[in-house]
Amino acid sequence: MLSFGPEDPYLANLCRTTERLICCREYLLLSSSSGSRLDSRNVTEDMTTCASELTNAIRLVELYDDPYPIFKELRDREPVAWVPVANRYLVTRYADVVWLEQHPEIFQAAEDGSLVTRVMGHTMLRKDGDEHLRDRRAAEPPLRPRMVKEHWRPVFEANADALLRGFEADGRADIFADFAGPLAARNLAAVLGLRDVTDDDMQRWSQSMMDGGGNYADDPAVWARADRSTQEIDAAVDATLARVRATPDASVISAMANAEVPPDDESIRSNVKVFIGGGLNEPRDSISVATYAVLTHPEVRAEVAADASRWRAVFEEAIRWVAPIGMYPRQVAQQVELGGVTLEPGARIGVCIGAANRDERVFERPDEFDIHRPPVAHVAFGGGPHFCLGTWVARAQVAEVALPMLFERLPGLRLDPDREARMGGWVFRGMLALPAVWDR
Amino acid sequence: MPKIRFVRADGSVTVVDADVGQSIMQVAVGNGIDGIVGECGGSRMCATCHVHVDLSGVGGVPVVSEDEDELLDFAASPRSELSRLSCQLPVSEEMDGITVALPERQT
Repeated sequence: MLSFGPEDPYLANLCRTTERLICCREYLLLSSSSGSRLDSRNVTEDMTTCASELTNAIRLVELYDDPYPIFKELRDREPVAWVPVANRYLVTRYADVVWLEQHPEIFQAAEDGSLVTRVMGHTMLRKDGDEHLRDRRAAEPPLRPRMVKEHWRPVFEANADALLRGFEADGRADIFADFAGPLAARNLAAVLGLRDVTDDDMQRWSQSMMDGGGNYADDPAVWARADRSTQEIDAAVDATLARVRATPDASVISAMANAEVPPDDESIRSNVKVFIGGGLNEPRDSISVATYAVLTHPEVRAEVAADASRWRAVFEEAIRWVAPIGMYPRQVAQQVELGGVTLEPGARIGVCIGAANRDERVFERPDEFDIHRPPVAHVAFGGGPHFCLGTWVARAQVAEVALPMLFERLPGLRLDPDREARMGGWVFRGMLALPAVWDR
Repeated sequence: MPKIRFVRADGSVTVVDADVGQSIMQVAVGNGIDGIVGECGGSRMCATCHVHVDLSGVGGVPVVSEDEDELLDFAASPRSELSRLSCQLPVSEEMDGITVALPERQT
């Protein structure tokens, strides 16, 4: 079990490394139109014909620090905009994002030259149609709401309890690094069916594969880290496959291996990689952003203290306010007009969930954290056939377990007055550090 | 074209012409009926197209599957005897004139 003290040099180093990697990942993912594997001819043409003064002025470092003022400008002035530093058209209005999600035949998940596919193999995240559905259906049964409630929730509670026992006597911790990250890691390992893997393994695997997915600069060290992770994952998956073929259990790998139409082993390995790459930082970031929001909104804290069922509203509002996946890619399959712009086949799209969730056309005072909003659906889980497969797992582990247990077990929990809480990112956004103290 | 009458929780009514074969969820979403979300696009995973509809007397209506039954238990507004996921209900000529009541919230 992990139980880093707040002054642990390893932890401090881990935090810095993670932050740097997140920065790097977003920079590499988006900045490299030259010397990259992207289709530079289309890019050049688009850049000269479509980039405007507004979009030419957008800088990645600003998007990373705080994307929301830029998103607002884009929504108001160019809701579908060619943004050179992003190397894509960014779609920022709620209505356009929802419409696009309802038309998966036009906006495909399969992307030419996808580095995520290079790292992970052909996963369901980048498949469409029946092929996508087959993989998804095989993995789905353990992730359905009743199974989550009856089987996984007690597992999540035991994991949260173990982590809290490790540091609750200390009176201080980084809620991001000491709680949210390791909890998301071990919950995910349990749901997948991976045993004998550490929280560190899971977090390193996730980070290194995501870095590989953004390695447009072709940095060999990044490939080497990603390759090492994928080999380790393959070994862990193969061990699990041997076990669950002999004795099926409630896990996702067991469900896939023993499905009526099972994906082949290669597909199972690839899909486990996409679950590790994509199923860890979202619960981690929603736990830490929601915690930060409650710590900075006393009225919300009073409300959840009086009525624990309100944690669900806290969770949903937290992922509307700061969507953990701020942007995801799509590729246009047939000519289409969106937001007044004609998009040609092959055009790359960045679907900005983080912007749609703050569209003032739909959400009043969108920059405020408010758990009493009218019941308008946010789009943090995406939509259509790729609607987040982990939605029910996320709701249980964050809204029913992590947040209530954290505030119940750490009396007087508050932000550490001496160490700054920080947030960053726009492709993926969340806390970078959440130092907190409580009464011992 | 069969007409479907959507009644929101606040009592407001919208009547739309529905394409036979589309699901009631698709008809609602395509006609901008707020009150039906349909987040997962009909893949039986989200419970955000929950409706209350009396389909007795309408032939050929699919029975409630195990997945639908499960999701209705997890819908954001309380389940009733008439609860269905509208993504599981393909529009037929026989549905002409039916009333589909929308719950207070879907999320």
